[in-house]
Amino acid sequence: MDLTNRETWAALHGIILGGAFLLAFAGGLAGLWSLRPEWVTVQGLQERMNRLRLGVFSMAAVAWLTVITGTWIVYPWYRAAPPEGTEDLTDYPRSLLLSDPDTDQWHKFGMEWKEHVAWVSPILATAVAFIVLYYGKQLIVDKNLRYASITLWVLAFAAAAVAGLLGAFITKSAPIQ
Amino acid sequence: MANIRVVREGGETRDEIVWQAQELDIHERPNGPAVAAIISAAIGVFVLGLLTTLSEANTDIHDFLDIKNRVGPLSGKTTFSVIVYLVAWVALVPVLWKRTVPFANAMLIAAVLIALGFVGTFPKFFELFAE
Repeated sequence: MDLTNRETWAALHGIILGGAFLLAFAGGLAGLWSLRPEWVTVQGLQERMNRLRLGVFSMAAVAWLTVITGTWIVYPWYRAAPPEGTEDLTDYPRSLLLSDPDTDQWHKFGMEWKEHVAWVSPILATAVAFIVLYYGKQLIVDKNLRYASITLWVLAFAAAAVAGLLGAFITKSAPIQ
Repeated sequence: MANIRVVREGGETRDEIVWQAQELDIHERPNGPAVAAIISAAIGVFVLGLLTTLSEANTDIHDFLDIKNRVGPLSGKTTFSVIVYLVAWVALVPVLWKRTVPFANAMLIAAVLIALGFVGTFPKFFELFAE
């Protein structure tokens, strides 16, 4: 039941931070979607806006932490080149995947897409966080702004979901240890 | 607030919440700040896709983006994309802060930039330009 330092960082990146973003997406979406004049009362709006502000701000922050830890801490372990003559590639996930024609697409397609598209998520989530924080209750009456925020939120989720799903499959084939 | 009526077995009814009119004042703000945030984010996504594709297409650019050896060119692609995103935001905010601009046009521009950014990060696309 021990986790190595690398496994701990990989879990923090993929399960704790990434998982938190993906799970909390539904809350943010529901919050944005239900900001309609016919569905909210003044008291309800106050409670809902505070929750939404805190939620989207936290989500954007979590998205940034996820990609920063992934790219700058976990990814170097993934792509590290093995010393010449190394036969056991267990500690070198990228090389391990590329060494087998049955798994090389996990790197060539999976990791290549994941490592890039993941960064779309915090950028778009930050735009939504700003809009919610700055405009607040105006989103109830400004349909254009609300729908634009929902669309960006869904795109941020889609990017994170692609990255998260591919990350899970890649880790299954060649875990960072 | 809604009028919620509870009907018990036997026909007895009871009002839980009574309807009452409420007022909410909303001071509308111009859409410029939102457009600045969205367009700058779209520019950031577009640059990410562009750099990803250029890095594949040109070894000089690939090497230039390799600003941190342990991370490889991904370090440059992400760092420069975020820098461009933030610079674009800082540049657009003072221009748009107090303005209301045609929202549909702005969203169309953002949609095109974001779509191109997504395409640029897709391996089957950027591999077409592999040097």
